[in-house]
Amino acid sequence: MIIALPIFLPLAFMIFAFLFRHFHGREYVAIGAAALNLLISVFLLIEVNTDGMVKIQMGDWPAPFGITLIADRFSALMVLVSAIVFMATMAYSIQSVDSRRKSFGFYLFSFGILMGVNGSFLAGDIFNLYVWFEVMLMASFILMSHGGERNQLEGAIKYLILNLISSFFFVAGIGLLYGKLGTLNMADIAQKLMSYETMPPELNPAFILIFVGFAIKGALAPFFFWLPASYHTPPPVVTALFAGLLTKVGIYSLIRFYTLFLHQNSEFWQPLILWIAGLSMVIGVITATSQFEFRKVLSFHIISQVGYVVMGLGLYTVAGLAGAIFFLAHNMISKTNAFLVAGYVHRQKGTLNLKVLGDFYKEHPLWAIFFFISAFSLAGLPPLSGFIGKYLLIKAGIDAQQLGIAFTALFVGFFTLFSMVKIWMEVFWKKTPEKQPVPIIKTALFDDKPVYINWMTWSSGAMAIIIVLTGVFATPVVDYCTLAAESLMKPSEYINFVLNHTQEL
Amino acid sequence: MELVIALFIGLLYASGVYLLLRRSIVKLILGVFVISNATNLIIFLSGGITRSGVSFIADEAEKASLETMTDPLPQALILTAIVIGLGIAAYILALKYKYFETTGTHDLDQLSKTDQK
Repeated sequence: MIIALPIFLPLAFMIFAFLFRHFHGREYVAIGAAALNLLISVFLLIEVNTDGMVKIQMGDWPAPFGITLIADRFSALMVLVSAIVFMATMAYSIQSVDSRRKSFGFYLFSFGILMGVNGSFLAGDIFNLYVWFEVMLMASFILMSHGGERNQLEGAIKYLILNLISSFFFVAGIGLLYGKLGTLNMADIAQKLMSYETMPPELNPAFILIFVGFAIKGALAPFFFWLPASYHTPPPVVTALFAGLLTKVGIYSLIRFYTLFLHQNSEFWQPLILWIAGLSMVIGVITATSQFEFRKVLSFHIISQVGYVVMGLGLYTVAGLAGAIFFLAHNMISKTNAFLVAGYVHRQKGTLNLKVLGDFYKEHPLWAIFFFISAFSLAGLPPLSGFIGKYLLIKAGIDAQQLGIAFTALFVGFFTLFSMVKIWMEVFWKKTPEKQPVPIIKTALFDDKPVYINWMTWSSGAMAIIIVLTGVFATPVVDYCTLAAESLMKPSEYINFVLNHTQEL
Repeated sequence: MELVIALFIGLLYASGVYLLLRRSIVKLILGVFVISNATNLIIFLSGGITRSGVSFIADEAEKASLETMTDPLPQALILTAIVIGLGIAAYILALKYKYFETTGTHDLDQLSKTDQK
């Protein structure tokens, strides 16, 4: 039963926020709901960790006809990490979102994103996955343009068109797959595919369409252009939420699809995925070094870090997948925190142009430490969580004899460090330039109501502490990720669990 | 019949892509709508138009008596996809209207203010 709660709780909050839109304590109710969601996901994780997998058949229709919600270790971890990210961004938004945006449904649509994200992580049915994607996208379209500033509208149009096209790819692929196999349940599809000796060639168009759909959503190498064109336009907290959750859902679905379906045709998919991973890493990191806007640098880094996760998938060994899962979880937290710091810089200085900024370490040393922790965790410095993630992935790459991709990952890590140091030098270290070379543009408003708790500091600080703790006490997390990877490598367990009609919940 | 509809879907995709490549935002949006409907037709066609098996009847004899019925599930899927498409259409037109109000332009090439010089 607990597995349906991460979907129904955001829905209940959305109904509340819609009915009581003039209620002024809405931000505190939102924090309460986010905390409840975090609690639920902790319980879900504990339950999944003891049982291996948890499922529920919606409306009590047996699989493969009814809609299945299923959580294995991988999806339970993703639900937990997204709950942490969501909690931090909601707490942060109390001070960083202006009251006009709040009264026009900022929290309503944020919880819409949470509902879509949780639904995608728990879906056991591909059409259901598509519907959750749309829920998430619809809410994210609105948050992207919410407030209606010119920059946001521009970013929203680019974001919207490219994401819609990716949805069309995905849904066309689902249609073709259904036409050939006559089922939509992921376990049932996997079972039918296993009964073939070789993958029937007429299924390849469907899989390629679905793959392209996920690659656009996950911002992989040749399909990433929507991301850096739009992520720097909305209020910083919205970017932090998007960076933590949205692309990761595309990557989660790709991992799920690869381990259930595509691995049966691995001589075609594996080199393709490794090439895409390498290209994403290199292109993302090199374009990031040439940017002079705080959030744009970080946006391009999303592409390169998504490449790391896909590299772990492309290796398709237990170690590689474990590294990918760890890196995905680490990246969601570190990336969100880096954007939260960007939001604070923006609040203090009114701009995020690196050329104009400076002296931030002297003025706000605590925030400099938060940035230091999250940025150098992204760059992969020990003892932070990014180091463990990169170590696992590169070691798995060397063990799997894929030296090319392993050395690409090392080389990209160096460039990541370079651009993080660049932000550090420009924003935090150097003196503010006396003659301003570019005009300051204020792009977002803030809520300057006095509050008793400094929510921004607390949320970003908590995230920084989580990053350090996952880095220092990595062993239990890595063990958990290895267990999750082992169960991903054995899709027959998943299939039996879903299709076993006697074991109803 | 399948062939005719398949060719028609191809035509819809071609016109959709042509519209997407135009400079006007209105035409871009129309292109998105056309592609969205072409995708719905793909689902419709892949479920089979006539004489396909009914998906969730296991009994072979009963299934044979329903031979002329088509699989209803893809149509339910399309219904969902159409509803989602409608919501997105409403949003995208509102966004376009707001964009036009703010900037007074339809031209996609003007969408470069947020890009770095």
